[in-house]
Amino acid sequence: MLQFLLSGIAIGSIYGLIGMALAISFYVTRIINFAQGQLMMVTVMITAELVSSGYPVWLAAAAGLAASCIIGVLSYLIAVRPILLSNRFSFGWLVSTLGFAVIVENAAAYVWGPTSQAFPPILNNISVPIGNAVLTGQQLLAIATAAILAAGFEIVRRYTLFGKLGMATAADPEMASAIGANTTVVAIVAFAVSAAFAGIAGLLIGPTTFANPYLGDTFGTYGFIAMMIGGGTERPIAAMFGGLVLGVCAEGANGLINSQASDWFPFIVLVVILIVSPKGLFSASNPLFRPRRPAAASR
Amino acid sequence: MNSTTDRQAAAAIPGSQAGGWRAVAPLAVILAYLAATAYVAQSDLGLQNLVLVAAVFGILAISLDLVAGMLGLYSLGQGGFFGIGAYATTILANDYGWNVYGLLVLVLVAAGLVGVAVGAMSLRVSGLYFAITTFIFTLVLTVLATDMVNVTGGLQGLLGPAFPDFPSGLRWLGSPLVWCTMAGLLLCLVLVWNIRHSPFYPILLSIRDAEPFAEAAGARTAAIKVGVFGVSAAMAGGAGWLFSFLGVVSPSQFDWSVSLNVLVMVLIGGINTTIGPVIGAMFVSMFPNVVNINPWLQEIVYGALSILAITLLPDGVVGVVKRLLAPLIGGAAPVTGIVTIEEPSATAIVPAPAIPSTGSEIVVECRGIEFGYGLGPKVLRNVDLAVQRGHIHGLIGPNGSGKSTLANVISGRLTPHAGQVLVKGTRVDGMPASSRSKLGLRRTFQAAQLVKELTPTQNVMVGLFDRVPRIVGRAAFWPMLASGRRDMAAMHRRSAETLALVGAGEWTSRQVGDVPHGIEQLTQLASVCVAGPDVIVLDEPATGLSAKEVRHLATILANLKSQGVTMIIIEHQTRFLFPLCDRVTVLNAGEVILTGSADEVRADPVVRQVYLGE
Amino acid sequence: MNEQSSPVLEISSLSAGYGRFDVVRDIGLSVGKGEAVALLGPNGAGKTTVLRAIMGLVKQRRGLVRIGATNVSDLPTHRIARGLAAIAPEGRRLFLDQSVEDNLLLGALHLRRDQARVERLLTSVYDLFPVLRNYRHRLSSFLSGGEQQMVAIGRMLMSDPEIMLLDEPSVALSPVAVDIVVKAMLELRKRGASLLLVEQRIDVATRVCDRLYVMTHGEIVEEMTPDTVRAGGMSILSKYLG
Repeated sequence: MLQFLLSGIAIGSIYGLIGMALAISFYVTRIINFAQGQLMMVTVMITAELVSSGYPVWLAAAAGLAASCIIGVLSYLIAVRPILLSNRFSFGWLVSTLGFAVIVENAAAYVWGPTSQAFPPILNNISVPIGNAVLTGQQLLAIATAAILAAGFEIVRRYTLFGKLGMATAADPEMASAIGANTTVVAIVAFAVSAAFAGIAGLLIGPTTFANPYLGDTFGTYGFIAMMIGGGTERPIAAMFGGLVLGVCAEGANGLINSQASDWFPFIVLVVILIVSPKGLFSASNPLFRPRRPAAASR
Repeated sequence: MNSTTDRQAAAAIPGSQAGGWRAVAPLAVILAYLAATAYVAQSDLGLQNLVLVAAVFGILAISLDLVAGMLGLYSLGQGGFFGIGAYATTILANDYGWNVYGLLVLVLVAAGLVGVAVGAMSLRVSGLYFAITTFIFTLVLTVLATDMVNVTGGLQGLLGPAFPDFPSGLRWLGSPLVWCTMAGLLLCLVLVWNIRHSPFYPILLSIRDAEPFAEAAGARTAAIKVGVFGVSAAMAGGAGWLFSFLGVVSPSQFDWSVSLNVLVMVLIGGINTTIGPVIGAMFVSMFPNVVNINPWLQEIVYGALSILAITLLPDGVVGVVKRLLAPLIGGAAPVTGIVTIEEPSATAIVPAPAIPSTGSEIVVECRGIEFGYGLGPKVLRNVDLAVQRGHIHGLIGPNGSGKSTLANVISGRLTPHAGQVLVKGTRVDGMPASSRSKLGLRRTFQAAQLVKELTPTQNVMVGLFDRVPRIVGRAAFWPMLASGRRDMAAMHRRSAETLALVGAGEWTSRQVGDVPHGIEQLTQLASVCVAGPDVIVLDEPATGLSAKEVRHLATILANLKSQGVTMIIIEHQTRFLFPLCDRVTVLNAGEVILTGSADEVRADPVVRQVYLGE
Repeated sequence: MNEQSSPVLEISSLSAGYGRFDVVRDIGLSVGKGEAVALLGPNGAGKTTVLRAIMGLVKQRRGLVRIGATNVSDLPTHRIARGLAAIAPEGRRLFLDQSVEDNLLLGALHLRRDQARVERLLTSVYDLFPVLRNYRHRLSSFLSGGEQQMVAIGRMLMSDPEIMLLDEPSVALSPVAVDIVVKAMLELRKRGASLLLVEQRIDVATRVCDRLYVMTHGEIVEEMTPDTVRAGGMSILSKYLG
C-alpha cells in the first residue's frame, strides 16, 4: 500500500511538472501548447546524445534544458504569437501548436531514429527503503525537485514583483501594458519557464523511460490530464496537485486492479472529477475560462 | 422546366434573372460528381483507397464544421463518434452477422444519441472548455477500445467487415464501396448546403455570435445546440460505418489526435464553408501519399505547412479564394463615414401588432425587483415599474444605475432574486428569454447583437424565427421544398421591406460587419419590428447615432407608437427621449427615484442634481 | 491658469477608431502644466477613445500626440506608460486577484529600481486616501466601488506620470464616494498634477477643471470654462448632453 502511494507520488510529481508547464504557458496566453510534451522530449534526447558523446551529465542536462527553453520560446514566436495577434479568440493555435509538435517530434525521429537510446541513470541505481516500501534515488529526487519547483513557482508568483506582473498580465493583458508591462516579454519568459519545467520533468523520468522521440506524446497527455484534474488552468500549482492525484491513482490501479488498469483508471477518475467539478479539483471555480473580452469601449 | 423557373426566380436572392442558370448549375455539378465517382469506382485500388479515405474524412470534417463553423462549438469528440460507428459496425457484423445496412441505421441513431448526451453534459461550459470535455470523451473511448481486448482486439484492432457487392446487374458500375461512400459524402454536402440556404442558417450563426439576440427572437438556443450536436455526432458515426469497410479498425484511428486532425482539416480548408472541410480533408489525408519522401521529413513538412496555412490563411483555403473572387463577383467598396438616410415618408407602415390597444391596460409590470451580480452589491433594489399599453416609457439614470440590468430582467436574460415581472398579466420571471417572444415582447441591445458576416436582411430574418412554422424541421431539405422556397422568399421580402421602412433599405445586401454603426442600430430595430411585436424594450437605441440619424429614429419610434406598439426605451439623450415619452422613470443606484411625465422629471430638483446636472 | 507656455499634453488632428471607421475624427486639444481639462459629451461621443488613443491602446490612430517633449504617436503602450501618461480607466480594471498594495506597486513598475521613490509615492497615495492604508493587504476584489476607484486613481499616481487620464471616475458611485473622488482630484491639482478628465457629469467637471471640451460624434464641438458654463453656457451644454 505504502509502495503504491510512494511510487504514485514519484510518477505523479513528473506528471505534475508537465501539467504545471502546460498551465504556466496557459496562464499568460490562454492557449494550450500542444508541443509541451515534445519540449520535454528535446531535453531528454539532447542530454542522452551529449552524455553518449562523453560530456559530463550535469553539462549535458544543462544543455538539454537550454535547448528546450529555446524551442519553447520559438514555439511561442512561431506558433502562438502570430495567431493571437490576428485574432485572440480563434482556435488557430490548436493547429499551429500541434503542427509545431509534429515538427519537433519528427525532427527528433529523423535525427535519432525512432528507437530508444540509453539515458544516464543519474540516481536510478540507488535504492532507499522507506518503511516496508522501496524507492529509487531517482524517485526521491523527482519528489523533492517537484516540491521545490512547485513551491518556488508559487512563491515567485505571489511574492515577487515579476510574479505579480505575471498575474496582472494573465488577468488583464491590456491593463498590464497600460501600467508599463511589455506583455510580449512576459509571455516569452513564461514560455521559457514552462519549457524548463517540462525539461526538468524529462531529466527526472529519462533514466526510467530512456530517450525516445515519442516520449512527448504519452507524457504530454498525462500532463494535460494532471492539469485538468487539478484545475491548473486557473492556478498553475493546482496542476501539481492534479499530477499527484493522477500518479497515485495510476499506480494504485496498477497494483490493486490489474497491470493494465493504469491505462484507463485515471480517465475514469478524470471523468468523475470533471462531472463533479468541471474546473478541476483544486480550482477556485471562477469562470475564467470563457474567453475574456476587453471591456467594451464606449465610443 | 419553365414553371419551376418562375418559382426559382422568386426564391432566388437578389439578382433573380439568373434563375434558369441557378436551376441548371447544381444539376451540372452533381452530374460531374457522379462522373468522377464512376471513374474512381472503375479505377485501380490505389486511387480508390486514396479517394475513399479522403471522402470518409471529408464527412468527418463536415460533421465538425456543422457544429464548429455554424455554432462555434469546437468539438474534439468527433474521433469518438467516428470510433463508435466503426467499432459497432465491425463487431456486430463480424461476430453477430448483423446486416450492414441495418447497422448503418443503428450506428446513426446510436452515435446521435450519444452525441445528444455528451452535448447536453458539455454545454454547461463553452469555448475552450467545451473542446476539452469532448476531448476527454474521445480519450476515454480510445482507452476503452485499447483495453477491452476481448471485444475490440486491443491495440491490434479488428479486421472490418467486407462491403456487400452490387447485385449482378449493377456490377458494371465498379466498386460498390466507392459509390456508397461518395453518395454519403454527397448527402452530407447537400445537407449542409441546404441548411446554409435555409432561414435556419442565420439563426445558427446568431446563436454562435449573438446568443442573446437569438434568444430574444424566440430560439431555444440550448436545445438547438444539443440537437445540432446530435446530428453532427450521427454524421461522424456514419463516417465510422464507412471507415470499417476500409480495412483494420484500431484505437489509433480514433484517438484524440484524429479529432485534432479533423479540426486541422476544417481550419485549413475554411471554417463555416460548405466545401472547405472537404478540401482540408483531401489535403490532410492525401498529403502522405502525394508527397513521397522520408516519412519523418514528410511529417515535418506537414507540420510546417499547417502552421503556415493557419498563420497566413486564417480563413482557410476557401476563405482566400472567396476574397480573391469577391471583386469579380461585384459589390462596391464599402462606403465609409456617416451615411445619410432619407427621411421616411409619412405613410411608412410598420407591421401592426396582432391585438389592438384596449384602453389603459398595463402591459409590462415589475414588482419589487431585486437583483445583484454574484455576491456583489445589489444592482436593483425594490424596483417597481408599470408600463401602459401604447405608451412609450422612458428609463433614464446615470451610468451604472441599473437601467440595462432592468432591461435584462424584463426580457429574461437575468432572473431577479426577488420580485415579479408580468407581461400582459402573465408572470414571466423564471421563464427563459426565448418564451417571452411568444408573448409579443422583443428587445434591442445596447451594443448591437448581430451576426457580422451576414447581411442586414439575413439578420432581420432571425427576428422571424417564431413567426414561421417548422424552420428547424425543414432546414435539412429547405431549398428542395416548394414550401421552403416560398417561405424563404416571403421572409426575404418581409425583411427587406422592414429594413426599407426603418430607412436602411440601401444596405440589404452588404455584410453587417461592413455597415456603419447607425445602420447596425436600424438593423436591430428592423429585426424586432419584422415580427410585429406588442412590446419592445430598446436599450440605448440612439447611442452613437448622428443628430440626423437620431431624428430619423425618433420618427420611426413615433410611427411604431401610432401603430399601438408599447415601448420601454433606455436612453441617455433626453433631448431625443423626452418628446417621445408618455412616462419617464428615473433610476439611481438601483432604485427608482421618480416616475412621471417628461416635464415633471425635467423639473425635479433631485433628478437635475444626480443626472441632468445642476 | 489658461494656456501655459508649453503644454504637457498636446494633441493635433488625431483620428482613431476600431475596425473600419473612425470613432474620433480630427481632434485637437491641449492640457497645460498643472491644468485640469475635462472632456464632456454623451455616451458614444468618443471620449474614452481619445484617452485610449493617448495611451496607445487603440491600434488605429493617426495624427500627433505629444506628452512633454516626447512624440508618443508611434510608441507602444508600455513605453508611454513608463512615466509619460497613466490612466484610471473606465470600469477601473483593477487586478482583482491581488491586494490593494500590490495593485499600487504594479503601478510603479517602471520605477522598481528606485525603491525610495516608490516608497514616497506609496506614502503620498495613502495620504490622499487614508482608508486604503487600512486595507493595504486586502484583496482588491473585496473593496466597494468607491474604494476600488481610489485604488485605480492611486495606481495611476504610482507611475508619477506627466499627465493623468481619468475615465469617468464618478460612474456608479454613491454621492459620498463621488465627493471623495472629487476632493482627491482637487488635492492632486494642488500638488501640481495635470489632469485630463472624461466625464458625463457636468457638476463634477466644473468643480475640478479649468477648461471643458465638449465632444459629440467623435468631434470637439465646443470649448468653455466653468465660468462660461455658469454664465449661461449651461443651455449650450445641455443641447449636446441632452
